Amino acid sequence: MTLQKDTEGNEKKYLHTFADFSNKRVLEIGCGEGRWTWQYAHASSLTVGLDTDPDALRVAVIDKPSDLHHKVHFLRAESEHIPFAKETFDIAALAWSL
Amino acid sequence: MVHTLSEIKRALVPNGILIDLRPILDRWQVEVVSAREIKETGRVQDFPVGLADDEAANQAMAESEASGWFIREQEEFFPFIYSWDTPNELTEWIEEEWQDFIALDEETKRSTRSAWAVADADARVRLKMKMLIARWRKREQS
Repeated sequence: MTLQKDTEGNEKKYLHTFADFSNKRVLEIGCGEGRWTWQYAHASSLTVGLDTDPDALRVAVIDKPSDLHHKVHFLRAESEHIPFAKETFDIAALAWSL
Repeated sequence: MVHTLSEIKRALVPNGILIDLRPILDRWQVEVVSAREIKETGRVQDFPVGLADDEAANQAMAESEASGWFIREQEEFFPFIYSWDTPNELTEWIEEEWQDFIALDEETKRSTRSAWAVADADARVRLKMKMLIARWRKREQS
């Protein structure tokens, strides 16, 4: 099966129209395999992706580009219990997950 | 959902931004697409549970706004395309991945197969989803 997603590139275009990720600390909830993460993480200063699916997180870690190693992190956690102190992030992104 | 939004509010700095991006059920359009033309062959059927999920998410955001946690700054809809090589792949995907939310009726399956069979060799089958993207800002004192 050859599945292609967002063939017109609208998601990335709208995402960057709606938020400036430059040097921001970003929390992504429902990151899955990181498909969305790779669309903005280069610009951020720190990106943390949360998901409850360990298999998806494993793929995200494997797919992580080497130049993002120091600033992109994936965690298994539920969105009702975000494991960070208050006021840690500049941007939160609900990725297909509300 | 409200618990999630409460946690996001806690984790965000004052005036921090929340981006909400998700598909919205709206009887998404099925198309057969080639270099020569785009032909609509039908629409998917939305199931009540999927529509209820959308409504619950909208309600949770509305509650967070009413509670003074977030202010809605911008909202738009845009098409998000899923594309497959053949009609069978579209059908399999829906039956395996999205069977709780949407379905294809027999007439749409038939018309999609017919349009694809007579289309040019480069023809693909695609589903045009409706996506919501909204930007919310955490209130400075909330």
